[in-house]
Amino acid sequence: MSAARFDDGGRPGAGGVPASSGASFATGSAGTSETAADVASAALAMDAGVNGGAAAATDAVTLGHVPTLRIELRALSLGHRQVLHPLSLAPAPRAWTAIVGPNGAGKSTLLRAIAGLLPFDGTLTLDGKPWPTWPAKARARQVAWLGQNEAASEDLTAYDIAMLGRLPHQPWLAPASAADHAAVEHAMRQTQSWDWRDRALGSLSGGERQRVLLARALAVHSGVLLMDEPLAHLDPPHQSDWARIVRGRVAAGGAVVSVLHELNVALQADTLVVMDGGRIVHQGPPHDPATHDALQRVFHHRLLILQVQGRWVALNA
Amino acid sequence: MRAKSASSAPSAASASSAASTASARIAAQFVALLVLGAVLLALGLAIGSLGWSPWTEAGDTMRLILWDIRAPRSLGAWLAGALLALAGAVAQGLFRNPLADPYLLGCSAGASLGVAALLFVMGISPAAAALALRVGMTGAAFVGAIGAVLLTLVLARGVTQSLRLLLAGVVVGVVLGSGAALLTLMNPDILRAMQAFMLGSTGYVGWSAVQVMAVALGLCLLTALGCSRTLDALTLGEDTARSLGQRLTLIRLLLIATLSLATGAAVAQCGLIAFVGLVAPHLVRSWGPTTHGALLLLSALTGGALLLAADIAARWVIAPQELPVGIITALLGGSYLLWLMHRRKAHFGGAGGSQ
Amino acid sequence: MKSMGPLRRAEDAPALRRNARSWRALARAALSLATLVLTTTAAVAAPITIQDDRGHTVTLPDVPRRIVSLLPSLTETICELGDCAKVVGVDRFSNFPASVQKLPRLGGLDDTSIEALVALKPDVVVAGVSARVIDRLEGLGLRVLALEPKSMNDVQRVLGKMGRLLGKEDDARRLWNRVDGHIAQSAATLPPAARGLSVYYEVDAGPYGAGTASFMGEILARLGAKNIIPAELGPFPKLNPEFIVRANPQVIMVGQRNAAGLPQRPGWSAIRAVKQQRICVWVPAESDVLVRPGPRMSEAAALMARCLREAAQGPVAWPTTPFNAPPGGMR
Repeated sequence: MSAARFDDGGRPGAGGVPASSGASFATGSAGTSETAADVASAALAMDAGVNGGAAAATDAVTLGHVPTLRIELRALSLGHRQVLHPLSLAPAPRAWTAIVGPNGAGKSTLLRAIAGLLPFDGTLTLDGKPWPTWPAKARARQVAWLGQNEAASEDLTAYDIAMLGRLPHQPWLAPASAADHAAVEHAMRQTQSWDWRDRALGSLSGGERQRVLLARALAVHSGVLLMDEPLAHLDPPHQSDWARIVRGRVAAGGAVVSVLHELNVALQADTLVVMDGGRIVHQGPPHDPATHDALQRVFHHRLLILQVQGRWVALNA
Repeated sequence: MRAKSASSAPSAASASSAASTASARIAAQFVALLVLGAVLLALGLAIGSLGWSPWTEAGDTMRLILWDIRAPRSLGAWLAGALLALAGAVAQGLFRNPLADPYLLGCSAGASLGVAALLFVMGISPAAAALALRVGMTGAAFVGAIGAVLLTLVLARGVTQSLRLLLAGVVVGVVLGSGAALLTLMNPDILRAMQAFMLGSTGYVGWSAVQVMAVALGLCLLTALGCSRTLDALTLGEDTARSLGQRLTLIRLLLIATLSLATGAAVAQCGLIAFVGLVAPHLVRSWGPTTHGALLLLSALTGGALLLAADIAARWVIAPQELPVGIITALLGGSYLLWLMHRRKAHFGGAGGSQ
Repeated sequence: MKSMGPLRRAEDAPALRRNARSWRALARAALSLATLVLTTTAAVAAPITIQDDRGHTVTLPDVPRRIVSLLPSLTETICELGDCAKVVGVDRFSNFPASVQKLPRLGGLDDTSIEALVALKPDVVVAGVSARVIDRLEGLGLRVLALEPKSMNDVQRVLGKMGRLLGKEDDARRLWNRVDGHIAQSAATLPPAARGLSVYYEVDAGPYGAGTASFMGEILARLGAKNIIPAELGPFPKLNPEFIVRANPQVIMVGQRNAAGLPQRPGWSAIRAVKQQRICVWVPAESDVLVRPGPRMSEAAALMARCLREAAQGPVAWPTTPFNAPPGGMR
């Protein structure tokens, strides 16, 4: 059923756009192509109904080197309040890490610290080198960020907004190259926002706007993708689409970290990071009973975690 | 749901054609604004102290005189409008506030204080008078404007926090403005000169002033265009802009310097002209979505046309008397905005709109 | 005088005759004293009623003995009429004659110190029409006469009213005739070359010019000069600088504050007055006289006549003393 949804412009397979755009930003390692192994691993991680083999092909994007991001935090205070206590996190490449927890656990704060947007007491390293020693643009090419409830100018078209994601790849004041246009179009088609690319952002609904912003983050083609509440305003079909896109990124080798309120979507990730009160209470795969225990603890045993048709779901008790 | 776009094979060509219709529109607007500026310049050469008096009717010597007066004055009005509009567009982009105008960092109050101090000091002692003559009113206004911005930067302790900058700008504006008012109170002789400055006038703009403003416009335009990508990124919020690798502190400093230079140059030559900097970017935005690169350029052209039109009206309406040009800019710009708002009620009231 | 009855003794006659004479003297003295008292009380008791420039009728029971003046031209008028001693307080700008500079200063028109004013217990306060304090002072029970001379006719009228206020109407009339005569004399003694020159009088940077309808314009007209600003533009219009260039005046009159930089204004180097250096620059003391419609009008006319005379003979020298305005400003 969902195979039909992302069939806009059924692409003829790996030889289309991704390859040409892959040539421009593959650095060093050979561009991954959609092999049967990728398809298989994608199918293992997700429900068969959510994804199909052909779809994985359309979402494949050639990422360059995927860096290892690691944070060792001793303390992070906002104002006079200590929000995060000592913790460490290293999102694995080729994996989707979902950060979950109750309100006020510090999930967004942790994600912003990982993105290098908040100062804290501790170290943040990218490929072993400390974060401040990286040139800003090189950093931006490796790590993309999608914030929560982002303000956006009402005056730019959706296409221009998505094109902003290519800024880390563009030399100063150079006009957008063919590769940039291709990447933006691919990202917008992935999020199904291509049809209103010429409309001003202010004229779009909440969900449409969110998909444009998502396309912007995807267009960076970074190895690491950090997203804070990316499913805001998205209805269930588009939430599934988002999960599919993430799967595609992971299949291409990237690391995706998302802060999610929607436990049912989070339970499809590769690793769950359970937070409470500024600390990481548990890290583990969603099928692990220890993870379920941790979830129950932080949500005060008001969840009913069960498996439905091979998928883990959490219902309100 | 998405079946209709299934036809075209994705290609860079179709993507860039989407962008090219936008750039075609922007190119058309650019050309139209240039033509409008040229037409207004020609009109400005024809309006003088007798009202409509085109150069074809004037004698030879009078034509030369009018070349010394009308031409630099009209050109100066266009340049001042372009400077103010550019500064306004930069301010609105930098602070992500549609109500920002070029004076929000205290420039206007600083310039007023500079002029008031100059006029006040001229009578105190011969040495002060000599110094005052050398500096001149334009120098005093410029120094005052730049000094006020520096004071704002110091008060806000840097450019990192937009809100602190805005608040510091308000404080500086109020304090320096009351300083100027105090000086005027202590010496009421300068009241009329101060009033003329506050309401703005292009009456004494000569060719040297035109040169100064042209150089300033060139510099500021280049710098601002260079920073336009960052301004675009800033529309997504500071965090996202930083995550896209933009060096926010450096760009902010550059843009604030551009803002001060542009505003200071315009205010020094023509006094405090209100509303041009605020309204010109809005006019450009009302003609369709634009990225900041185009917005800055088109705003400058729009502001130039707006101020030149206002100057012509100020010279024409009660010739040979002159109205203060600031009043006309408010009337022109404000009524156009009102008409726009009336025509597009839905657009301004929509859920997504924040204008 | 009737006899006072039969004499009792002859030796009393001289004493009685002495008594009769002293009685007559006494009666005469009593009669003249009574007349004097009656007439003076009649004069003192007559209330003075004046309608001021606001249209209000101000009534005083008597000629005022203590006056506060808040307008320099009114101060000068009072002093010219000889009643300088009656002035107990003046505004910041009153500076002529020198004796008023020692009086308590009560501020300008907008920031008058009301307490100090009331403490002086004046019988009447004379002020300009535009003073904001008038309502406040009247609310405090003081009598305020609002007079503001702006033109020569105004000066004549105000002189008359001040004369009535001080009980010196004849003196006021004589003063006016004197002033008028001096102006006529200034005009008459102008050489023919100095008559009929076109003049631009700049009042303030802007440029604000003095039109035909203004006070300076009237004096210029009396002196036979041609004002480039026609009457229909009003007394002090803000002009397009091009207008002055077009009108090409032969003489420019400007205050020292605004004089610097005037020849350098764009296009102004083509004006006759600039080319031939016929710019009369007024030092602050002279500006004081020129902008104040009052009893020193004749001095103003003399100053302008001097300027026209010098301009007719050739370039006019700029004042050598650097600009040094009084710190509180001039009015």
